[in-house]
Amino acid sequence: MAKTSHGPDLHVDLAGLRLKNPVLLASGTCGYGVEISDLVDLNMLGGIVVKGLSLTPRPGNPPPRIVETPCGVLNSIGLENIGIDAFARDKLPLLKGFNTKVIANIFGETVDEYAALARKIDRIDGISAIEVNISCPNVKAGGAAFGANPEAAAAVTRAVRAGTGLPVIVKLSPNVTDIVEIATAVEAAGADAVSLINTLLGMSIDVKKRRPALKNVFGGLSGPAIKPVALRMVWQAAGTLKIPVIGIGGITTPEDAIEFLMAGAVAIEVGAATLVRPAAAIEVISGIKDYMEANRLQNTAELPIPRAS
Amino acid sequence: MSRFDVDARILRNEGLARNIFRLTLSAPEIAKNARPGQFCMISVDGKSRFDPLLRRPLSIFDARKDGEIEFLYSIVGRGTDILSQKKEGDLMGILGPLGKGFGMGQCEHPILVGGGIGAAPLHFLAKRLKTAFSVVIGAKTRDELPGISAFKSLTTRLLIATEDESIGCKGVVTAPLEEELVALTKSDAAGYLIIYTCGPWPMMRAVHHICVKYGVRCRVSLEARMACGIGACLGCAVKKADGGYLHVCKDGPVVDSAEIDWEAEV
Repeated sequence: MAKTSHGPDLHVDLAGLRLKNPVLLASGTCGYGVEISDLVDLNMLGGIVVKGLSLTPRPGNPPPRIVETPCGVLNSIGLENIGIDAFARDKLPLLKGFNTKVIANIFGETVDEYAALARKIDRIDGISAIEVNISCPNVKAGGAAFGANPEAAAAVTRAVRAGTGLPVIVKLSPNVTDIVEIATAVEAAGADAVSLINTLLGMSIDVKKRRPALKNVFGGLSGPAIKPVALRMVWQAAGTLKIPVIGIGGITTPEDAIEFLMAGAVAIEVGAATLVRPAAAIEVISGIKDYMEANRLQNTAELPIPRAS
Repeated sequence: MSRFDVDARILRNEGLARNIFRLTLSAPEIAKNARPGQFCMISVDGKSRFDPLLRRPLSIFDARKDGEIEFLYSIVGRGTDILSQKKEGDLMGILGPLGKGFGMGQCEHPILVGGGIGAAPLHFLAKRLKTAFSVVIGAKTRDELPGISAFKSLTTRLLIATEDESIGCKGVVTAPLEEELVALTKSDAAGYLIIYTCGPWPMMRAVHHICVKYGVRCRVSLEARMACGIGACLGCAVKKADGGYLHVCKDGPVVDSAEIDWEAEV
């Protein structure tokens, strides 16, 4: 590839995908992309992970679904989505007009549902990879129940793997005792990459109303508050796995993203920050580039820091 | 739909009554594109992006050709408390204008029904209405009606109710609203009536039931806990009458009252 400038090369190869930079929008914080395309130049992004999709539409959880906490936000959306068919018909054609990788986040209540979703997506043009959500804390069936158990996580991974030739990224839950055990299980089951972390299970009480702030009582915590936990888990996973790790959790500034890349993440996802400031991910990309220039780094592969043996 | 995410300078941030403030920002693109009933997401602590994390949805009180945009807010928690301490010259992140507004028909006689601080978006609407209209405003006490003088210059049909009778008649908005409806249904305005309302949920529910009783269309401006304001997170769900949820930020904030399940818990 001919290069006219000597600026840093931000592109990354992720499980067979060539991303123009390591910055993705996280599922659940950017809708189906098209909703925010007037406020964020999607063409600038390494990719976009769309809102979690199920086989059939889901109405989501009763409100209140959102409550702010210190440096964070608790949500219990409950995977409200229009379903894979409506996504492919109504949203994807618009999304395909952008020069970025579209990653479909999928959710099923059973292993068979995950497999069926994978087979459907495999036949849809315009989707570059699948992120498998086995970690949503806000639904009763499926979700975190798969993510908390190595055998169940591996079973879902195998089913998706068998259903598609697309890269399979498994999104892991932090609500486990040993993240490495789960990560190792999904790697062995055929995952091409893992992304972590999904939200941390949390709770808030409205003292004026004397009831849980969320109707669903528990919700998933995201935002800057969870960054240290996420970074620790990414460091652990990246130190153990052979497949690439995508870092997620409270990334708001370029420095946050660089920390995750230094911890061994090949790419990162910007989540709650997009809700606060839609163009946050764009600022993260330019900040990574500035950092690499200032430190004379040519490639993001030079970012990971040494580990004490 | 044109939306802008800008850093806007505070021109004024004045206390109007106990716990009630008027914030004036210079944001020409947003002011120019704003329509009555729309809202903006405002960072309460300037450009800080950590704590408080989320921007606050505030409905537009006024937007003028000179590029100034105004919001009324009351201190309800830590976020609005921090906002109230911001000074002239401070920069605020502001995203807007957002959502669907009231929409205005060509030949209507609107009745604007506001409760407390909920009167704010109705003020912007009143300023833009080109037809005759009535205003019915209620609050616990006079101090919760800081925008009242602004309405006086915009309409001659202004009815006020306060629970402590500090101004207007004693009670809530429903009694004067029914009086006005009865009077207007005997006038030339009959058949052209529409109600635009914003206020606490129980008040809007009562207004909705009155509208059903009189066969008058009712448009309500909803409020919900919100994270993004742009339909990305789906946090601001409100239960629909026919099942499922609508989202205040993109389906509203103004919707037909018949769309809402008014018995749902909020």
